[in-house]
Amino acid sequence: MKSLAKSASFALLGAAMAMTPLLSSNAMAEAFTQPANGPAIHGFWLTADHPDVAVSAGKKVSIPLSLLNALDNPVRTKLAVKGLPEGWTYSIKAGGTDVTSAMPLPNEIDNLTLKVDPANDAEKKTYKFEVDAIANGDQFKLPLSVAIADIPLGDTTLVPELPALHGTVNTSFQYKMKLTNGSNHDTLFNLSADAPAGFMATFKKGYGNEEITGIPVKAGATESVTMTIKLNHDVAEGDYPIEVAAVAGPDDPAAKAKVSLKVSGSPKLLLSGPNDRLSGQATAGSETTFPFVLVNNGTAAANKVTLSATSPSGWKVSFDPKELAKLDEGKTQNVNVKIEPSSKAIAGDYMVHIRAKADGVSKEVDYRVTVETSTMWGIIGVGIIAIAVIVLLGAIFRYGRR
Amino acid sequence: MKRKGSPLTGVASIALKEAADHMTSARMHLIMMLVLLTAIGAVYAAIGQIKTTTAQDAFLFLKLFTVAKAPLPSFSSFMGFLLPLLAIALGFDAVNGEFSRRTMSRILAQPIYRDAVLFGKFLGGLMVLAIALVTLWLLMVGLGILFLGLPPSGADVARGLVYLAATLFYTGVWLALALAFSTLTRSPATSALAALSVWLIFTIFWQMITPLLASVISPINPYDPMTMLAQFHTQQALARISPAILYGETATMLLDPTSRSVGPIFMSQLQGALIGSPLPTMQSIKIIWPQIAGLIAGMLFMFTLAYVSFQRQEVRS
Repeated sequence: MKSLAKSASFALLGAAMAMTPLLSSNAMAEAFTQPANGPAIHGFWLTADHPDVAVSAGKKVSIPLSLLNALDNPVRTKLAVKGLPEGWTYSIKAGGTDVTSAMPLPNEIDNLTLKVDPANDAEKKTYKFEVDAIANGDQFKLPLSVAIADIPLGDTTLVPELPALHGTVNTSFQYKMKLTNGSNHDTLFNLSADAPAGFMATFKKGYGNEEITGIPVKAGATESVTMTIKLNHDVAEGDYPIEVAAVAGPDDPAAKAKVSLKVSGSPKLLLSGPNDRLSGQATAGSETTFPFVLVNNGTAAANKVTLSATSPSGWKVSFDPKELAKLDEGKTQNVNVKIEPSSKAIAGDYMVHIRAKADGVSKEVDYRVTVETSTMWGIIGVGIIAIAVIVLLGAIFRYGRR
Repeated sequence: MKRKGSPLTGVASIALKEAADHMTSARMHLIMMLVLLTAIGAVYAAIGQIKTTTAQDAFLFLKLFTVAKAPLPSFSSFMGFLLPLLAIALGFDAVNGEFSRRTMSRILAQPIYRDAVLFGKFLGGLMVLAIALVTLWLLMVGLGILFLGLPPSGADVARGLVYLAATLFYTGVWLALALAFSTLTRSPATSALAALSVWLIFTIFWQMITPLLASVISPINPYDPMTMLAQFHTQQALARISPAILYGETATMLLDPTSRSVGPIFMSQLQGALIGSPLPTMQSIKIIWPQIAGLIAGMLFMFTLAYVSFQRQEVRS
């Protein structure tokens, strides 16, 4: 029995020894559910996992109690706390209900919680008291102690998993962080990030979808938080430090973390038509050249720039040059777009989509081509009228002036 | 025998006299009254229709001429139907009327060539038609401004003026036709009936005749879809012999900026096209120019026919 108490770290009630012969039932104890290689538990026990606790002033204490019945019959147990100092109150709870007695079934453990509310003006010292249990006429005592003391709080930490990220202005940077509440009570942390202008930070819990501004963390627990940072497109190349803070109240612990963000430049293409217009005129069946301008106004060179177009069927669109190996940032390249509408295109407006594509970026513009009627029929019409005039003049010449 | 001097000496005075005669003739007044009343009726109906249905249109003003409200046809189709009547009324007895009134020898006793008489009669008729059409056009625009309460845009005016010119050429064709009949036949009644039957055939029956003719000329082979297209082309080519059809196409193209073609359109031609976007005025004119050129050439050919026939006639009877 002593070895059992030791190995289970149980504070054994002194009277338990005396109780064993009274309720001795070795045969029944074997039926008790127990670890495969642990020694068997016999008898009836009232135990506390942690009988001596320390708490800071003004806080309530919860001490979990267990009633273990390893006998062959239910045991009705009357419970009471004795020896509490003046002004202290207590309650015994079983699953939220205040109880004064318990009756564990055979081979069952009854879990109870003893809540002790120390007096507000309690001095900083150790207070001893005991739980009295009366079962089958026998009395047990479980001595407990609560020490009121200045308890140093644990560290509240905010630890980023990957504190340094790299990307372009189009990247959405995600920092996964672990927020640990080192205090002995549940806390709601407000999350904030101190970032330069042009940075927008949002927080999410774990892999959740909801954007949050604060997160509740249980005492001693850890929550994972994801911070997403999006950049304005005009953010220059460089390293940017960002300070993330999780703050609860003025007296509560706060955690800070520093992350860094490296932005590298990205190309940005801009395609504009002749005189910045996105419409032009072409004649059906004949080629017209439109001088387009391709600009890279991003922060890095654009590599492998290719130009292509989607046009109505029967149309021919070609580019000069068709490809560029590299277009440096801030540089301008003239591109001649040659559009030949189908010879069967009817007069009026058509859309041609012109696309410039480089590694990682592309730009598409819709170019409106007004197809003009071929002047061939106009000339033929004039010719017919001319023939008619010639015939009339011929008639005047032949029959005139009578 | 060659004679000296310009053959056109005296054209202006004959033309002005002719125009003055027309302006005061009861015939002209009656026909013009008919045209005016139908035109006002059509435009008034169109205004009512526009007010109730059209919310917003870039070319609202042009709709005055094309919108129809049952039972009245639209202004432009009224013009296509009635203006030939006006032209025929002015021209059917231009030459043979002078003979029957025995005034031709008196005119030719003046120091002018015979050329000047016919030119003068044609130009005088055309002048009267032009005055009538411009008046009608201004009246319609005025009605539109009054009832729609908005001024026409620049493009509206440009299209309207080209439409006015095309209308003048169209009536010119019928004037030249009536003139030709008046030189070919001796009796004014015969020439009037001949001109009126041509008018009826071309304005009413031609559209019924062309499909029959087309199916005879290019029959459809059910196993070759292209023959269907060929028949359509034949039918369209035959239909365009009629000045009324040419005028109808011209009116549609000029007065509806969103129409892009007068012929058949294939799906492949519409791919990527922005349907409903208006054509620039110049483009519409370019597309319809062959039709206008056809009207002008038709007018000139008809006049040449009248001219040759008149020059070869014996006038001393």
